[in-house]
Amino acid sequence: MSAAFNRQRNSAGWILASPLLLLLAGLLIWPLYIGIKTSLTHDILSDFSTYGVGLNNYKHLIAQPNFWHSIRFTLIYALIATTLEVILGFALALLFDRIFPGKRFLFSLMLVPIMIAPSLMAVMFRLILNENIGIVPGFLRKIGIHFSIFDQHNIFTSLIVLDVLEFTAFTFLLSYSALQNMQEEIYEAAAIDGASKKQVLFQVTLPILRPAIAIIALLRILDSIRTFDSIFILTGGGPGTTTQTVGIYIYKTAFIYGDFGLAASAAVVLVLILAPFMPSIIKQFNLNQGGRR
Amino acid sequence: MRLKKSSIAVVSALSLAFGLAVMPASNAATTVKMVLWPGPEGDAMQKVVNAYNAAQGKKDGVTVKMILLSRDNTFAKEATLMKAKSSEYDIYFTASYLVGQHAPYLSPLSGVNDSLYLAAPVNSLKVAGKQMALPLDTSLHFMYYRKDLIATLSANAAKYSSIAQTVLGKNLKPNTNPATWTWDDALATAAYFTQKYNPDSPTKYGYALPAKNLLYNTMIWNDVLWGLGGNWLKNGKPNLNTPTGKAAIDVYNTIYSKGLTSPESSQWEYPETNSALESGNAAMGLQWNAAYSELNTTGSMKDQTGIAAPPGTGQRTHVHALAVGLNKYSKNQQAAAKWMSYLATVPAMKAYAAAGGVPSMPSILTGMVAKNASFANIIEYAGKYGYSESAGPREFDIYASLAEVLSPAWSGQKSSADVAADADAAIQKLLP
Repeated sequence: MSAAFNRQRNSAGWILASPLLLLLAGLLIWPLYIGIKTSLTHDILSDFSTYGVGLNNYKHLIAQPNFWHSIRFTLIYALIATTLEVILGFALALLFDRIFPGKRFLFSLMLVPIMIAPSLMAVMFRLILNENIGIVPGFLRKIGIHFSIFDQHNIFTSLIVLDVLEFTAFTFLLSYSALQNMQEEIYEAAAIDGASKKQVLFQVTLPILRPAIAIIALLRILDSIRTFDSIFILTGGGPGTTTQTVGIYIYKTAFIYGDFGLAASAAVVLVLILAPFMPSIIKQFNLNQGGRR
Repeated sequence: MRLKKSSIAVVSALSLAFGLAVMPASNAATTVKMVLWPGPEGDAMQKVVNAYNAAQGKKDGVTVKMILLSRDNTFAKEATLMKAKSSEYDIYFTASYLVGQHAPYLSPLSGVNDSLYLAAPVNSLKVAGKQMALPLDTSLHFMYYRKDLIATLSANAAKYSSIAQTVLGKNLKPNTNPATWTWDDALATAAYFTQKYNPDSPTKYGYALPAKNLLYNTMIWNDVLWGLGGNWLKNGKPNLNTPTGKAAIDVYNTIYSKGLTSPESSQWEYPETNSALESGNAAMGLQWNAAYSELNTTGSMKDQTGIAAPPGTGQRTHVHALAVGLNKYSKNQQAAAKWMSYLATVPAMKAYAAAGGVPSMPSILTGMVAKNASFANIIEYAGKYGYSESAGPREFDIYASLAEVLSPAWSGQKSSADVAADADAAIQKLLP
């Protein structure tokens, strides 16, 4: 009786989930299949014929220093930006985890950057940071600071700062939400035990929020690795390929050089680079705990 | 019974009316879909489309619908449509530098009257002798300079020579006629108007250098290469790893490393170059002809905008045409051809020019010189100095590849010797 009931329940589950599964298949599996198929073909815009070339695109890709440079730049960029954003976001969340005048207004203000599309944000940065007509360089000059934001020696730092300005709001929001779920009793117990503020932070709050912070960091690093629009608009990946992310490499290969096969192989490699992060994220969700087993 | 009959009559009449309404008329107009990009070209073309749909289109049985894709990604979207052999759009937006790449997906045009057009733009849209697209706007470069500043050079000849000696190591005298400038004249003048060398200069920098890794910036750098007598190819072989090629790279390298332009110009393209000239931060620079109206009407260059052909001993300017081509996979080839025939007429291009376009027809540009003085220069320069590279179907890719290889040298990160061989290799890889 119980086994039959379980079978029925499983069938119902599959039936109910089938629309979503079909949608996922259409939106994820089909494009992935097309991407892998394209990566195995000679598919160049200026060449009318398309034919299979096996793993040639991958061989060609692996031999390209530009591709590896893009991977290296992307990983360094993602790592530094994510670290700063997670630390700053958490620090801001701690700051907001108390009642103070104007909190509601400041909280709303903090969230503005994530409401703006990254490409639009980049266009805004390009205008307000323009050395000739931008408000920020104008202000800096007025107070006697002569700093070239887009000078090639400063460009990496500038891009990181702009990324932090844009995405710290995201890490802040999630960190704040995690902090709100902390039970007051835990803090009370720590206070009774005479724990200092520093001890509470490092020995109570952070260990309890570790899974949440890990998820925030992983989400941000995945997003950072896919960075395209803001850097493309601000630097185009240059000078040369100095600031070229993998996303920009793929875009240029496909839409500037018209080599869809090579671009698809780079996209597949990017998926393979990102895939190992998935088990870490899934692990943080504790999918094997809670609910029905 | 009578009621029943009248009801039947009413229902029949309504059914007939409904049937007529939904039934396609035998002479219904064919809709032709055309891609263009937003901005002045799209705005101007919309007026031509409206005029056609209201009059000639009715006679032709054609209604034109224009679709404006984004300015940055029109060609990227078209690339995917072309590769998918899509028939979604009947007419594609293209350009001289892309027509080689697009040609396999376009139908050749017949009956285009070459004599109506400036020679360089119309010829740049031919592939293997066939006209693959119809020219719309012509784009080329001017050397923009502040007339009021250049006029002061003669009075300060000693200072000019001293700065030229310090910066370039050459003994030069001021040349107040930019139309006859060599690149040495241009560099010395730029140094003279750079505050680092001349604290009395009204501009912080002498030159506005668009040195971003962007294929359109390669088009501007080409003027330097050609002006010094070089070219991408010689006898079909890459030709940048040569004394002339390196000298052309060194011109940009000198401007950047000697501080004649802003250190931020390694990220500059059209808007930043314009803002440097407009704000009074720079005294001169090569820039697209489209900038003239803005520069001559606003900011520090207002009414002081001088234009000349790019410097050099063999002066040349890049010239290209924006254009439209007929999708080979269009299901409305005949209707699209009718619209394009209309677009190739003088009245249609006159309407285009009146709405803000810069058509490639000299007769129309001549008639509009009073409205925009630079139109006279477009006709003159396109004829006298106009040039476009012809490097086969992957010309567009070569522009992009050269921007990637050369931009580190343009911005002083590397020397001309470091990048010249790579530039040749990049060209070689993309030759047919």
